[in-house]
Amino acid sequence: MSTISKEHSDRLYWLGRYTERFFTTLRALDKMFDKMIGKTHVYPEYLNYFGLADTYTDDRDFIRSFLFDMSNLNSAASCLERAYDNGIVLREEISTESLSFLQIAKDTLKKAENNGSIRLSLLPIEDIIYSFWGSVNEHIFDDEIRNIIYIGKTVERLDLYMRMKYPYEKVKLEYVRLLKNLRRVPKGTPYRYNTAQLSVIEETLGTREDYERGTGGAIDSLGHLFDTSEVYA
Amino acid sequence: MIQQTQFTKTVGNAAEINELLRRYGVKFGIYKNGVFNEQFFPFDPIPRVITAEDFASMEKGLIQRVDALNEFLFDIYHDKKIVKDGIIPEDFIYISKGYLAECEGITPKNKIYSHISGIDLVQAKDGEWYILEDNLRIPSGASYPLIARELTRIAAPLAFAENEIVDNRGYAQLLKETMEHSNCGGIRAILTPGRYNAAYFEHSYLAEHTGSVLVQNDELFVEDNVLYHRTYSGGKTRIGVLYRRIADEYLDPLTFLPESLIGIPNLMEAYRSGNVGIINAPGNGVADDKGIYYFVPKMIKYYLGEEPILKNAPTYLPFYTEDMKYVMDNLEKLVIKDVAEAGGYGVVFGSELSKEKLEEFRKTIIAEPRRFIAQEVIDFLDLPILENGDGMGDTQTVMRKADLRAFVLSGEKTRVWASGLTRFSRNPASFVVNSSQGGGFKDTWVLKQVNSEQ
Repeated sequence: MSTISKEHSDRLYWLGRYTERFFTTLRALDKMFDKMIGKTHVYPEYLNYFGLADTYTDDRDFIRSFLFDMSNLNSAASCLERAYDNGIVLREEISTESLSFLQIAKDTLKKAENNGSIRLSLLPIEDIIYSFWGSVNEHIFDDEIRNIIYIGKTVERLDLYMRMKYPYEKVKLEYVRLLKNLRRVPKGTPYRYNTAQLSVIEETLGTREDYERGTGGAIDSLGHLFDTSEVYA
Repeated sequence: MIQQTQFTKTVGNAAEINELLRRYGVKFGIYKNGVFNEQFFPFDPIPRVITAEDFASMEKGLIQRVDALNEFLFDIYHDKKIVKDGIIPEDFIYISKGYLAECEGITPKNKIYSHISGIDLVQAKDGEWYILEDNLRIPSGASYPLIARELTRIAAPLAFAENEIVDNRGYAQLLKETMEHSNCGGIRAILTPGRYNAAYFEHSYLAEHTGSVLVQNDELFVEDNVLYHRTYSGGKTRIGVLYRRIADEYLDPLTFLPESLIGIPNLMEAYRSGNVGIINAPGNGVADDKGIYYFVPKMIKYYLGEEPILKNAPTYLPFYTEDMKYVMDNLEKLVIKDVAEAGGYGVVFGSELSKEKLEEFRKTIIAEPRRFIAQEVIDFLDLPILENGDGMGDTQTVMRKADLRAFVLSGEKTRVWASGLTRFSRNPASFVVNSSQGGGFKDTWVLKQVNSEQ
């Protein structure tokens, strides 16, 4: 087993989170694109998921901001940049090959910005991100390292799916996936979960009715899942 | 001598290769007006070609030179016989910024100080190779030709099928063996100042390919004179050899600069106790000082009892009265180098100065003779470069100045990597090839068989 520093374990976790945030954001925006066909001003629905103010002049302004604007911290471009920023200091852990897929995604996103058919030009990104995950699986031999990235990925996915009100069954599947990842974490390491916080999520996702009553508490608990008070216990 | 131009068309797909280099993040960082920018290092697809015969001779010369420099470093930090015997004036040792009194008496494992030496050479038009400078502190650049070779083999396999080229992809293994030879018990680690260092790509790439842990100072600590890596579970892992990519003065704030924020307190004590190997050894700067360069041929004779195989560029030390006279009489045709500068900075061509500036500079040299060396301008062999090879315009082959950084690794044996970093100037009027000054790089092919003149 290789030696992992606190700094690198954080980076691995956030690499997983931001890569997933980029991917799910892109998919959600693609759905918005589709809804915009023949309709106008449909984007407030997306802003409501995240409690964001509507400062956009029209659908186009909204889409361009959430895809490409680096000053918009919730944009796909911004998430990808942060994924890359974490990945670049993890080359020896995740491999040059894995990192290269994030670079390709960046280049593809950049090219899409000036393409007349944005939606079409974004299509390859889905393949690129799947390739990234394939590469992570292929090139990382240390289970502990791989698991930290996957924990980040599933925490982010669960968070976004709950915010975007994904169907209960889909959210529940992601929760089961998160539990599997959490159970692989060795004792005495930072990604041992905080049991109190996990209980809140468990209760929220108990039944469809529980889920539909509201996910605010579960989203909040996800954010505190690795509170250090229990981490080193 | 082989004709470079015959290889102009052997490696095609320049745009694709540059695209692959982008994809794999082959970048270097540069600060301009205080702002950090990452730039892709432009790659030229026409290789520099070195014949087997030429390389064999160069290899012998480089091994000889690095062995002598290692002897010199041991001597300087111990008995200083070379000074006592009057071969090198004392001034050149103690005034050198690279001399570190704190390293006196320290003997690194296996007596090796310069484990990775980057020796810069140029080839003159008559085919003769000249040493331009020795880099014995933290020479960088090996990762670029290493990854470029991987990618050119993908993009242009025919070029490699049709030419008998020595495979250079073993550099990481060579480096790993070199690190292991100095390992005092523990894991291998590469110390980087961080993401915003100019050579960060190289640090991370070499860590990945040597199976070393890439670390920053805040992940390390010294306890009972042993260096440890602090793990995320609160444990510690012993480090046996540290390939540091930060300058001497920042290594240990308790020994060198107290304001260093990137060093490791007590690292020097762990090193002095023989509990960790440091690659390259602190204090090597005294041997790659531009002033000391003048004396390297004398060192070879003194320590090895041999005639130098490789020549220095004709160099003058204004410190000596006779040399000062020559420099003053010929300033307009010489290149003057400030011994304290690196990276292509502090290099002045007399021919490029106005009359007023020349006179001003003359006074500075007279006032500070130890600060400068003067060299004859070598008529470099120009190499063909594919202009716009990155696919950004019409391509054409142009001739540009280029040098070669050879990498010599000292472990169980002293070995020369059969490749190197060929850097070229993209400015037709310039001799300065450094990446920080806009230069590019190309692959360096060492041929397996001697090619006849074509």
